[in-house]
Amino acid sequence: MLLRLDDVTRHFGGVHAVDGVSLEVEDGSIQGLIGPNGAGKTTLVNVITGYTRFQAGRAWLQADELTGLPAYRIAALGIARTFQNIRLFKDLTAVENVLIGMHTRRRDDTLAQLATLPIFRGAQRSRVKDAYALLETVGLPTAVGTRHAATLPYGDQRRLEIARALALKPRLLILDEPAAGMNPSEKQGVRELIERLNADGLTVLLIDHDMRLVMGVCKHIAVLNFGKKIADGTPEEVSTDATVIKAYLGTGGEREVSSAPGAGGVNEETEVEQAAVTSKAAREPEKAILDVDDLTVSYGAVVAVRGVSFRVAKGEVVALIGANGAGKSTILNTLSGIIRPESGRASFDGLDLTNAKASSIVKHGLVQVPEGREILARQTVLENLELATWARRDGAATRTRIDAVLKRFPILGERRDLSAGSLSGGEQQMLAIARGLLARPRLLLLDEPSLGLAPQMVDEVFRAIEEIHKDGTTILLVEQNALRALAIADRAYVIETGRILLSGSGDDLLHNPAVRRAYLGG
Amino acid sequence: MDQFISLLTDPVAFWNSHTLLIGQIGINGIIATSMFLVLYSGQLSLAAPGFMAIGAYVSVLMGNYWHTPGVLNTVTAALLAGVVGLLVGLPVLRLRGVFLAIATIGFVEALRLGVILNVPITGEGLGLSNTLSADPLGGINVIIVSLIVIVIVVWRLTKGRLGNAWAAIRQDELAALSQGINVARYKMIAFVISALMAGYAGALEAHLFFNVDPSDAQYGVTRAVQILTFAVLGGSGFVLGPIVGALIITLLPYIFGAAGDYINVLAGIFLIVVIVFRPQGIVGRGGLALVRPAWWPGSRVRAASTG
Repeated sequence: MLLRLDDVTRHFGGVHAVDGVSLEVEDGSIQGLIGPNGAGKTTLVNVITGYTRFQAGRAWLQADELTGLPAYRIAALGIARTFQNIRLFKDLTAVENVLIGMHTRRRDDTLAQLATLPIFRGAQRSRVKDAYALLETVGLPTAVGTRHAATLPYGDQRRLEIARALALKPRLLILDEPAAGMNPSEKQGVRELIERLNADGLTVLLIDHDMRLVMGVCKHIAVLNFGKKIADGTPEEVSTDATVIKAYLGTGGEREVSSAPGAGGVNEETEVEQAAVTSKAAREPEKAILDVDDLTVSYGAVVAVRGVSFRVAKGEVVALIGANGAGKSTILNTLSGIIRPESGRASFDGLDLTNAKASSIVKHGLVQVPEGREILARQTVLENLELATWARRDGAATRTRIDAVLKRFPILGERRDLSAGSLSGGEQQMLAIARGLLARPRLLLLDEPSLGLAPQMVDEVFRAIEEIHKDGTTILLVEQNALRALAIADRAYVIETGRILLSGSGDDLLHNPAVRRAYLGG
Repeated sequence: MDQFISLLTDPVAFWNSHTLLIGQIGINGIIATSMFLVLYSGQLSLAAPGFMAIGAYVSVLMGNYWHTPGVLNTVTAALLAGVVGLLVGLPVLRLRGVFLAIATIGFVEALRLGVILNVPITGEGLGLSNTLSADPLGGINVIIVSLIVIVIVVWRLTKGRLGNAWAAIRQDELAALSQGINVARYKMIAFVISALMAGYAGALEAHLFFNVDPSDAQYGVTRAVQILTFAVLGGSGFVLGPIVGALIITLLPYIFGAAGDYINVLAGIFLIVVIVFRPQGIVGRGGLALVRPAWWPGSRVRAASTG
């Protein structure tokens, strides 16, 4: 037994984040840890790795007791971790990041540095060689080594974080959502990497939302819900466990479920083959409220959006789908005036979006709910909403508007006096959307509303979006979760590397095998 | 401006006639390096004037009362500043960012207003006159040599395991912990070395002038802000950055002597221009390239974004 947890408990105020969890991780295994958003997975990891104190219970890594040790001692004992939201040393190069990971394995060389003795340069050279070898292990090319971590693409940053963790030569590697925000082909890469590391003898504790990834790679899975372990077993046992299905998917969802999503693996693929439809060219609306024509946006030398044209008619739900880095968010940021395009036109109901100030674009009725929500974590829910209206002078009307929005999202009404940071991811997304609604949008831009949410919460967020649409708001939706977005979209555009690859009605694209190829990258 | 012409025509005469200025530049350079070290390890500490005061008063008092040799006084004063750094650091280094800055200002002001201006032995508001010769250490040569040695030492420290740990802590403390780095310990090491250096610089400064002056501009918040300005102006990414900042700030009143009382206005404008067009400081990444601010006409990208 490599890692043993015994009745580990951590409460935050009244919230039972981790409540008496016992868990054993076999030496040489890949252990999965899953659970809906807010189940306490990350808190459990933080307790094990010394970032959050134990309230009760104990933990051992083989014979070493972890209980009460500071984080750096636990790391030195051989538990390496990655973070849910990547924490690289951003202004250091990739190799420097990995070198820092070797800290505990390095003799102190302060005096040698002062004397600049050449023998120690040899040691440094071999460390740098090791660092490049680790980059190669995680699949990063040598050329990446001298680049600053912040300039790497998202997927490479994830890999670099794993390389840095490996530099510790850990006994146990804890991966906290290593595949979050990745497209399916990148996820496949992560899966192969985990299997390769495990084949070399490394024990891995994997935490992720993506059931397909966890089910595919783990021989043993534990399930958390509301801080308690509700199931523990093989993927088959866990995926057919009634408590797990209920926790993960919620009850009263539209779909009849007999197993957790992804457990079956390939059902979507067969569905696509049956409906071998080719997409009709999208019928662009005659009268558009939003008209984008040949839009090109670049960041310095990098062209993010190349000659994109599309239109949105009043009352439509239009989706832009595509993989990470396709340019979707850039398009939205350009429309809302945060970024200026290099060329092309974009107009919203007579307003030239390429020139108007961001604030006047909002006043005109085009409102963006940004990716990653960007709520004020330390303010209460109500304060977040009030701040969104501070520029308004019609106090009473604003008041009723806030009340109406809180009624639309009853969960926010219940938590109006809690700090926004204490809400779960899904609730924060609701808050971000609610804040957008306060600006009385005629066109609402939603950037990745399902990002990082458990399936149950995704359902709720999309239900909210549909309701807002029913009230007459036009919606332009950017999503990576293509199937979900297409299900509610009237029309959709598939974006790949800054270009529109395909367009069509939501239904057409949903059953178009070309979408799968474009989106899954092969 | 005129007096600098002799720097080109007759360097020896310039050196001999500007010893105080050159000495002050060297001392400010050492203090700037002390500031660099705390910033390099991710700590916004403004405690340097306090440690300088300890260095200055201890070394002068030792010389005046015990008639011990200047070298001994200076070394003892610097060590004592280091010890005080350790004691102050224990409670204070749990704080981060602006909170650490405020706490260290508290230390500086408590020392100046509470101790120096209240204890008779320090001469209180009148200050302390250096009854021994003003520079028993052999003039500004010692200062210049000290500066060079200190810069080399700090530069080497940033290159080794210690420096890697500091860089990691500066970038992301939580991530540094996950790499097995004892964050509290490495922060303390940087803080104490920085205190030693500031104490040493304070002792040297007291020997450069005949009088130890307990004014705000010498050992108070004003000095702390000036030292921070060295780093902001020069850039805190490389060890030479703050020294360049110190050189410029110390020279400004001489170069623009004609500006008279408006020198601070000029210095302020200069600082703003540097921050706007060169946010990483004069010595920093990107060679000598200037940054075009977002509001500058013709600037297209208003905000960077991913995705």
